[in-house]
Amino acid sequence: MSARVLVIEDNAVNRELITYLLRAFGYEVSSETNGACGFANAICGSYDLVLSDILMPDMDGFEFARRFKAAPEVANTPLIAVTALAMTGDREKILQAGFDGYISKPIDPQAFAGQISTFLQDRG
Amino acid sequence: MDEALGTPLAGLSLLEAAPDAMIVTDHRGQIVLINAQAERLFGYARTELLGQKVENLVPPRLREQHLHHRDGYQHAPRVRPMGAGLDLYGVRKDGTEFSVEISLSPITIRGERYVSSAIRDITARKRIEKALHDKNIELRNANLAKDRFLAGISHELRTPLNAIIGFTGTLLMKLPGPLTDEQERQLLIVDSSARHLLSLINDILDVAKIESGKVNITREQVVLQDVVHEVSNSLRALAEEKHLRIDVAVPAEPVIANTDRRALQQILLNLANNAIKYTEQGSVAIDMQKACDGHTAIAVRDTGLGIRDEDRVRLFQAFEQLDASSTRRFQGVGLGLHLSQQLATLIGASLDCESTYGRGSTFTLTIPADAA
Repeated sequence: MSARVLVIEDNAVNRELITYLLRAFGYEVSSETNGACGFANAICGSYDLVLSDILMPDMDGFEFARRFKAAPEVANTPLIAVTALAMTGDREKILQAGFDGYISKPIDPQAFAGQISTFLQDRG
Repeated sequence: MDEALGTPLAGLSLLEAAPDAMIVTDHRGQIVLINAQAERLFGYARTELLGQKVENLVPPRLREQHLHHRDGYQHAPRVRPMGAGLDLYGVRKDGTEFSVEISLSPITIRGERYVSSAIRDITARKRIEKALHDKNIELRNANLAKDRFLAGISHELRTPLNAIIGFTGTLLMKLPGPLTDEQERQLLIVDSSARHLLSLINDILDVAKIESGKVNITREQVVLQDVVHEVSNSLRALAEEKHLRIDVAVPAEPVIANTDRRALQQILLNLANNAIKYTEQGSVAIDMQKACDGHTAIAVRDTGLGIRDEDRVRLFQAFEQLDASSTRRFQGVGLGLHLSQQLATLIGASLDCESTYGRGSTFTLTIPADAA
């Protein structure tokens, strides 16, 4: 059975890119456009991996991570940030906020599938 | 001048020599002596003040409070120097208020207690302090605004680049379907141009961060040979495309420096990348030497274009590419050397250039002995 991935991303084009790449590599993908909808979907959707943008309207990735990490339903689901926040220090700030991994935008499409499968394996 | 008071305070006429306004009061708070500076400061003639309560020189709104303080002081008199952290005000004869600093000292003459106060008008200093304070807040806000702007720019430029590099990648990976050779060739151009644009954006943001003091240097023990090999390996493909050799010569013994690895790598990468960019044939050499006085020199030598003497001064300035007509031929915005020199300064190293026009250039990074 293919792994299930939830993508939370407000930018339509970037959402399409990530979903397209993941589907091309055989993942089953759902997507949401902000943290609030993403959270509602994440806790009842039994996903193997959640990818989230950081800067989003309504509920941003930091608030999403705070709630996600407090929810027992998803205690074993890795949460990865995929974000254009890529200045010095952003990575550390994002990992401190509770994310289990960090991928900066622009993503490297050739390397993306490999990064995702590594995060899924690390889940143990 | 002390006749009204008799002789006890006559000796205090030396107060006239003091630079500050001086007022002496008795235990009832009545003024018994003032100097000319005090007359000028408060706008009264001496005769108008002698025998008056000192509260006449305090703004009406603060008089009651002053009475209270004076009472307290009478019971526990001690020397209180200026600048004791109180916000104090005086009032002139014409009713205008001004900020003052006051020092107090109790004096006893023939069993009588007096209080001598030195009063300094600090209106000008207060104004300067306020201006400085306001300017500091303004600067801090401007700096924060700049940081937010940089972070915003970085985020906004990366977002569309994600789509460009991403979908070019999916096409090149042939996920949507096969490509003709020509389509693939053109997509590779889009891909390399987009990646080049990304590196320019990173360079510009790096320069901006260095100039706003945002770059942190983290020193660690670095084996310099490792960094040289990483740099030469990462550029080998680029050199081979132009049929250039990269020759690396380093000492056999590991040379260890206490420096910032990332900064060092970026400097050498910029120098070697430039060397390849401006060389059409021949080779690029990276030589590392440890001198007997302990410093280490890493030289990046090319057999390329070279630099005219008159152009040498502009070499390390931002946004300079020496031959303006060559910008079409050589990609870049001219930030590489500027960035490298800024980084070299940050890690306590120096960057120098020797060149013969038409025969090639050598850029030498000198890492001082104390870092090694």
